[in-house]
Amino acid sequence: MKLDEHEVNEIALESRLVLTEQELAGAVRYINNFLDMLDRFKELDLKDVEPFSFAEALECPLRPDTVISFPATQAILDESEHVDGPYFKVPRIVEAE
Amino acid sequence: MELYELNLNDVIEGLKAKRFSPSELYASCKQRIDTCEPNIHAFITRTDDTQPQTGNDGGIFAGVPTVLKDNLCTKGIRTTAASRILGDWKPPYDATAWKYLREAGAVLMGKVNMDEFAMGSTCGNSAFGPTHNPHDISRVPGGSSGGSAAAVSAGYVPFSLGSDTGGSIRQPASFCGVYGFKPTYGMVSRYGLISYGSSLDQIGPFARTVRDLQLVMSVLAQYDPMDSSCFREKNPDFTHREDVSLKGKRVALVKEFQDFTLDAPIAEAMTRTRKVLEDEGAIIAEVSLPVVARYAVACYYALAMSEAHTNLERYDGVRYGYTVTDAAGVKEMFERVRSYGFGSEVKSRIIAGTCLTEPSRCDEYYVAATKVRTLIAQEFARAFGETDYILQPVTPSLPHRIGEEDEDEMKVYETDLYTLPVNLAGLPGLSFFTGYAGNLPVGLQLIGPRWSDSGLLDAGVILERHLGSPKIANGGI
Amino acid sequence: MSELTFTPVIGIEIHIRLKTDTKIFCSCSTNPESPANTNICPVCMGLPGSLPRLNHNVVEKGMLAGLALNCSVQPKSLFFRKSYFYPDLPKGHQISQCDLPVVADGYIEVHDADGNLKKIRVNHLHLEEDAASMHHSASDGRLEGAATSYVDYNRAGMPLGEIVSEPDISSAQEAVEYAMNLQRRVRYAGASDADLDKGMMRFDANVSLKCSDGRWGRKVEVKNMNSFRALERAIEFEIKRQKKILLSGGEVLQETRHWNDAKGVTSASRVKEFYRKFIVEPDLPPLIVNQEWIDRVTAMMPEMPDVRANRYVNDMGLPRDVAEVITDDKNLADYFESCVKAGANPVRAAHWVRTEVLRVLNERGQKIDAFTVKPEVLAGLVSRVDDRKLSTTQGKEVFDYMCANGAGLEDAVKALGITEGGVAGNALNDIIAAVIAANPDVLEEIKSGKDKKGKKLKFLQGLVMKETKGQAKPQEVAEAIAKALE
Ligand SMILES: [Zn+2]
Repeated sequence: MKLDEHEVNEIALESRLVLTEQELAGAVRYINNFLDMLDRFKELDLKDVEPFSFAEALECPLRPDTVISFPATQAILDESEHVDGPYFKVPRIVEAE
Repeated sequence: MELYELNLNDVIEGLKAKRFSPSELYASCKQRIDTCEPNIHAFITRTDDTQPQTGNDGGIFAGVPTVLKDNLCTKGIRTTAASRILGDWKPPYDATAWKYLREAGAVLMGKVNMDEFAMGSTCGNSAFGPTHNPHDISRVPGGSSGGSAAAVSAGYVPFSLGSDTGGSIRQPASFCGVYGFKPTYGMVSRYGLISYGSSLDQIGPFARTVRDLQLVMSVLAQYDPMDSSCFREKNPDFTHREDVSLKGKRVALVKEFQDFTLDAPIAEAMTRTRKVLEDEGAIIAEVSLPVVARYAVACYYALAMSEAHTNLERYDGVRYGYTVTDAAGVKEMFERVRSYGFGSEVKSRIIAGTCLTEPSRCDEYYVAATKVRTLIAQEFARAFGETDYILQPVTPSLPHRIGEEDEDEMKVYETDLYTLPVNLAGLPGLSFFTGYAGNLPVGLQLIGPRWSDSGLLDAGVILERHLGSPKIANGGI
Repeated sequence: MSELTFTPVIGIEIHIRLKTDTKIFCSCSTNPESPANTNICPVCMGLPGSLPRLNHNVVEKGMLAGLALNCSVQPKSLFFRKSYFYPDLPKGHQISQCDLPVVADGYIEVHDADGNLKKIRVNHLHLEEDAASMHHSASDGRLEGAATSYVDYNRAGMPLGEIVSEPDISSAQEAVEYAMNLQRRVRYAGASDADLDKGMMRFDANVSLKCSDGRWGRKVEVKNMNSFRALERAIEFEIKRQKKILLSGGEVLQETRHWNDAKGVTSASRVKEFYRKFIVEPDLPPLIVNQEWIDRVTAMMPEMPDVRANRYVNDMGLPRDVAEVITDDKNLADYFESCVKAGANPVRAAHWVRTEVLRVLNERGQKIDAFTVKPEVLAGLVSRVDDRKLSTTQGKEVFDYMCANGAGLEDAVKALGITEGGVAGNALNDIIAAVIAANPDVLEEIKSGKDKKGKKLKFLQGLVMKETKGQAKPQEVAEAIAKALE
């Protein structure tokens, strides 16, 4: 087993996920099975292989620096329960960890 | 014959010739939905409660009803990606693919079910409950675009849109007995498609004839500056032609796949299709894809999860979707929103993606996977130097019963071997109907090199001519 | 045992706001005056399904900033996703070029403790997006103790260039000079306004100490400095703190510390930061910059301030300090050069710009581009004073009048009642006052009534006429002296 419960739980918390005991047990089993599957990569010599990032030689298109105001900014604000006046209001940031 | 039974091309011609009106068609489709939906449960959100908007009268899809997978943004209409975490989110904008269809006159009947954030192959990982296969409602419709496939299969609409990250169009098309097409990566704008694995995702159509796929592709395959990975130069011609031929074309089988077991009807379909191709003058060959066969599944899941966990970082409850308003701190708020909002498969994949991209493991897993992907793309490039198309199964088995999925996720992932390499290499893939085994449809897959999309659909027209078109499923009635 | 000595090893990361009309990945305005949460769209709000689109001008401004720091443009660069959860980050990750930047390998110069020029190497400049701005509701404005925070996403997606130096800096003074020089250069290049008050330039410093006994303290990252003064104080504090630890035989922890400007201390960050290796941004293909573009941007680069100052010293004969003051601001230097081009003597013009023009600008809190006296007009004034058509005092009066009333040169002279070529008014009064002050005995004689024939008065008139080099009217001089004696 590559990762124990404690390590998987740490990773989950890093992703802002709090798991139940049952979920954690499932996640531990899942992640270890998955990492075992990925062990296959070790059979390959990847030293001189370039990482793949895009399907072919594609260049990033560039957009002109012209302002186009989004017409429905209010519709964006309307979707949040945290809007207070013109702002988004969230609970305090610094918390004892 | 009821209007809902007409395929897309007949609908367009019938409307044009005024043999029936858009509202008659609409009513027929709505009636069909009302009848079958209790058995099938394809919809997450129905929008057919009001009379249809006229749409664009002059567009080629004027008055044609359709449905969209619920990971395509629709302005002012709830879009959920089948997740609790999006709550009742109403996007303030349309996905480009839907915008193109809307401008062509298409009428939206609703948003359909899927596996949450497109993670799954059964349409069972949905916060809204499972969708049932219209051919046998005890079975899965496939996924993740199960709702889109079921809706076309059951005759709700003549065509629909789905998305395909590792087979999510081709597999449900095969399970539901319709045609499904995954275009070349970069052919269709992804703007407004809720991302799963951004470098793998591609939008594509479902329909009951290949010709109908061509019609939809002719509208979808337009350049869109809103998607930086959308290709500008390619200007494919999806015009339907009957006089196409496969004479002299090379169609290969994958050597390494021959050793894998297939359900008998699928193996039998391979033999039958091969015969059709030979009769049409195609040369049957063999290509070797050893890296694909052994490493594609691991490579795909490593990359999909690495990208997915960053794509899902935005769901924190601040700006949209499900939230809590009584958290004492931001960390608590995020944790509560995400822990409740995401389903278990999504959580597993987020944790896996986070794990693979940790500094201590990044080179071993994420970076290694990006390199394996290079090898896979190179392997396909070599193969397509030797052949025009590759014929292969979509899945090793026919749709299983709902609730009978293998407990071992890795075994489930392995069944994606025939579909996901196509996404890793950014290729086009056509899932086509070959016939029925009992009441269950059997599909196969034809894939081609990048940008061979129109040729692939031409080949599909020939296969359909010989293998026959699918019937509308009984929808559990 | 000899006394231990410590050498500070300092590297600085500077974020500058690149000067564009729209954000880096969407077409929202970058206007800092807009009401909160109005410059927002699906992209910069991280709405599901939205995709980034790179702004051409952000790349160009990044190239300009890089060239101003003697960097070279990289033909291929890439964007990555840098993850952290915070309400100011709409996507939960920042899109940044961190690992493969658009420009790299540069340097700028500072003076070391001995006054010698020293190169500080610039590792690279990379493009990235800014986070939203947060306002905290605690009474003192700090994060700690605040019950709620308010988020304004107008700033989310504003374009930033992060400039990372090599650890070549050895003191707080060098750090400040590096930062000031960098600010001047990116402003010259037109890449950024780098206005500290508006948060357009922010500093982080990596500080460690090398001990003469061979020990090397761990690197401490100090964050949250928003002024040159804060940068200087934070580094000084950190050097002192680490020295104390090393002297007592302790170990400096590798950590991130926050500068508290009010208290003047750094303190360990309480928020645990997760460092994750970055994944490639799958929604943005590689950024390719071809040679033609590099050439075009290189041609856009203006003369840099140090080169310009040298030219003023060597070719125009300006004193070094004056040349440096004038070249500090490109627009001011441009103004000065326009004066010279319009015929003003360079040294005199420089003096006028440095003293009078800057005085008025400071009084008004204005920038040179808003200054109403055009350089050609100032050149005319400088020439007239030079030709003694106006006294220096008259010249200043005319200058002030033009500044105050927006008048032209001729109108100002006329309005002040100055006769061309003559000395009158306040200028004359100044001279008279000086002459009287220099001859207290004569004044005494006149006041006591002994100068019945007015001889002494004539004597004073003569002195005044001499002082004005005969440029005053005798009648006016006589009247003015009489008035001064009253
Ligand atoms: Zn925006």
